[in-house]
Amino acid sequence: MTDPSPAFFTVDAGGATTAAALIGRLAGRWRLLAAGAVPASIATDVLLADLVGRVNAADDDLLAEAGPWQQWARVESRTAPPPSVLLAATSEARLQELELTFGDAGWRVVLRVTPDHLAPLTVARVLLDRHLTVVAIAAGDPVEQGERAGLADLSAFIGSFAMRRPELRVVLVGGAVSEEASLPPAQILRARSPAVVAEGDEGSLASLVERLRLETVAGNASDRTQAGGDVPGPPAEAGPAGDGRVGFQRAVASLAAVLDLRIEGVDIGLDGGTHVLAGPMGIERRAIRADAGLVPLDALDDERWLDQIAGWTTVHEDGFALRDRIRNLRLAPWRDAAGDGSLLRVGAARAALDRLGRGWAGPREEDAAASGAAGSGAPDLLVLSGGAFAVAPAPVVALTVLDTLRHPGGVALALDHARVLAPLGTLGDEADRRRILTDLADDLLAPLGSAIVAGGLRGGRRGTLRLTSEGGTSVLPLVAGSVQVVDLPPGIAATAQLESADDLWVGVHARSVAIDVVGGLGGLLVDTRETPLRLPDRAERRRQLLESWERPLWIGGDW
Amino acid sequence: MGRVPTRVLTIREPRLWFALAVGDIPQVGAGDHLGVDDPLAIRLRHPAVAEAALHGPVAPEPGRRFEAGEALAGHGRNAIRFEGNGSVLYRTSSGRVRAAVSRHQDSLLSPVGGTIEIVEASGIQLRAEGNGLRGVMALGEPSHGRLLVAVEGPEAELRASQVDVSQAGSILLAGSRVDVEALTRARAMGVHGMITGGMIGKDLRDLAASLARQEAALHASPPFALLVMDGYGKRPIPELVWECLVEAAGRDVAISIDPPAAILDAGQTIPSRHPDHVRLVSAEGNGRTGRVLELAGLRRRAGGIPMECARVALTPLVQGDEAEIVEVPLADLERDV
Repeated sequence: MTDPSPAFFTVDAGGATTAAALIGRLAGRWRLLAAGAVPASIATDVLLADLVGRVNAADDDLLAEAGPWQQWARVESRTAPPPSVLLAATSEARLQELELTFGDAGWRVVLRVTPDHLAPLTVARVLLDRHLTVVAIAAGDPVEQGERAGLADLSAFIGSFAMRRPELRVVLVGGAVSEEASLPPAQILRARSPAVVAEGDEGSLASLVERLRLETVAGNASDRTQAGGDVPGPPAEAGPAGDGRVGFQRAVASLAAVLDLRIEGVDIGLDGGTHVLAGPMGIERRAIRADAGLVPLDALDDERWLDQIAGWTTVHEDGFALRDRIRNLRLAPWRDAAGDGSLLRVGAARAALDRLGRGWAGPREEDAAASGAAGSGAPDLLVLSGGAFAVAPAPVVALTVLDTLRHPGGVALALDHARVLAPLGTLGDEADRRRILTDLADDLLAPLGSAIVAGGLRGGRRGTLRLTSEGGTSVLPLVAGSVQVVDLPPGIAATAQLESADDLWVGVHARSVAIDVVGGLGGLLVDTRETPLRLPDRAERRRQLLESWERPLWIGGDW
Repeated sequence: MGRVPTRVLTIREPRLWFALAVGDIPQVGAGDHLGVDDPLAIRLRHPAVAEAALHGPVAPEPGRRFEAGEALAGHGRNAIRFEGNGSVLYRTSSGRVRAAVSRHQDSLLSPVGGTIEIVEASGIQLRAEGNGLRGVMALGEPSHGRLLVAVEGPEAELRASQVDVSQAGSILLAGSRVDVEALTRARAMGVHGMITGGMIGKDLRDLAASLARQEAALHASPPFALLVMDGYGKRPIPELVWECLVEAAGRDVAISIDPPAAILDAGQTIPSRHPDHVRLVSAEGNGRTGRVLELAGLRRRAGGIPMECARVALTPLVQGDEAEIVEVPLADLERDV
């Protein structure tokens, strides 16, 4: 990309759809010329040809000197289904440490085992599953007396299967390395306990599992074993080019540097969700969650997943039929997207955001908040990405965020509508990426608007919202427990002054607070509901409440 | 037409995977050529975990398979023996040997002829002779039998009353849905499998529980497989899949679990259609077929969302009627390739 052609494509190949964008050089800067998405079963070239055709139909001189489009550069990212891991540890606490690390690195945890809950036939079935690629065993460092027998049993059992499956890799964490004699040497990887080594440090488990994921999904897992099977060195700046999830995180970090903002990025795909918080100095926190896909694979067999998703939808359907519709959404996510199919997708996306948020708000977030460290606090801009958000109007998309990722205070919302960020994140050169993003920032982010989450208003009490922009000042009542949409067009900056007799919670407690907001397709959403959002347990009452917030935001919702 | 989602109708010589469980003994090697019903592996039926104390330093190797009563370590009265056949799991830190043991075993038979490509601890891969019709899910055990068309058309539902003992040993071609009563009756009658367009998730869960109970039973039952071709709920079998299967009626057809597929005879003719021939896959009009007249561009659909659409001339439901022209989102169309 250092010697750019006049035009290039970005391609984001996801589990459900393939999105592509045509980016060309106009008047000395990169511009987004066309973008589209098609179901994943359609050949990418069909989509690219369509993009070129659309641009040529609008202006046939624009790309006349760029040569045949088949020869233009393609910046491609791909997301793959999450790899599977079995976690074993000498205690529940160590198991949770493992789960936190693997869970945040995009692994699908298929079984958790401790010596006290070792069901040999169940574990054997999982160890013989050809889709299982990694087993992790953790123990204290040093191993405590009470752990020794359990660790020996776990290692002996797992080792007996690892010997028969030479492609299976075993990660020994902390004191578990003392049992390496029970395991085939070539299949062992070692890492230090997450309790004693920070993420990103040499030998950390987090670095290892990130690399293992990238290797596994890239299908080149055997290289690591042959290289000696030890912990790799410090993590490279990012994984191999092509991984859409790492690409999205890197691109958000580059965007944060370019815009000099603190940006939270959220991408919901079919097989997983990606979350990143980055500031001008780089990534502050990141996670890839296999359980935050639109409809995770496990939902086909496990009704708890289906019920969690159903609990966030506003579709009118009886329980069994709704579960089957959610399962069909997993099998063919592009089908039936019109009508109440869009309600179903919005519900599934909201459920995925909820799972992503719960993973994010785990023990690490509490630690960070307690210490005031990076990672806590609201971002300036929240960028959404993913095909699920393409089938709903901007205010509804904004509401899905407010329902789940609730940041007290004000935040601007934008949509990576052409799904350009993930492919651009796979560019190897940070300078290239920043240069392109500087040109493209206005094109690639569709402004959804701004949102203010202000808790603290007591039931029945009112406050005042005074919105001042270049067009004048408007005054609106603040009503407790509501979501109001205020018209604020894209490109308009304003100041929202909130006043109340009660202390409002907007990141700080205040009776009067001014927040800068920007307009967008969804305007300004003012949310005075509780944080976290409390919803009724009964399914029908819950659905009605969600619907009362969501329905007014649909335009032409005549399904 | 390139923008209409595609469904790959057939896979030539599909690779079938037969998962092995702990204690299963493969009976084949890579490169072996198998016929229908040749044994792939000997399986432990409903194994349990047994353990015995070691009386010496030598422990049997993990993974070692043994016969009932066979001395695994030690001598004479101190030798480790188990009452059933099985496989050694591991030696515990307290000096005991744990094993997966069963008094009963049976054979996993190949439902189709082909060549063994991989034999490993996890399973066996067979390159099947024939053409695979890919489904979306399958449940049960790989099986085969003579294909019988049990319903009038791809939209029809198979009722329990349509299943009888004359269908024993066969694979039934059901329509858009099979209920749990029909499944239960079919298994009781000795039917080897069913192929359906859709299946209610709850019925699928009931079937899975029933199959698990059967596995734990003392007496082995003939293998039974359910193959779902399109999705959950009531869904017609796709038109060309239906035609392929009707063409195969009366012949031996196998059902594979991994991948979910029906394996047809290699010599069978595979029907085809003009490239602009499509099938509706949305909830409304699901299963109807037609011809794409032109791409209609972006159209605002219910809910206010703009979508790329095509104008489609639907094949009349009654012969002689005029074709109905509708605008359908491209993503709600499908064509077979």
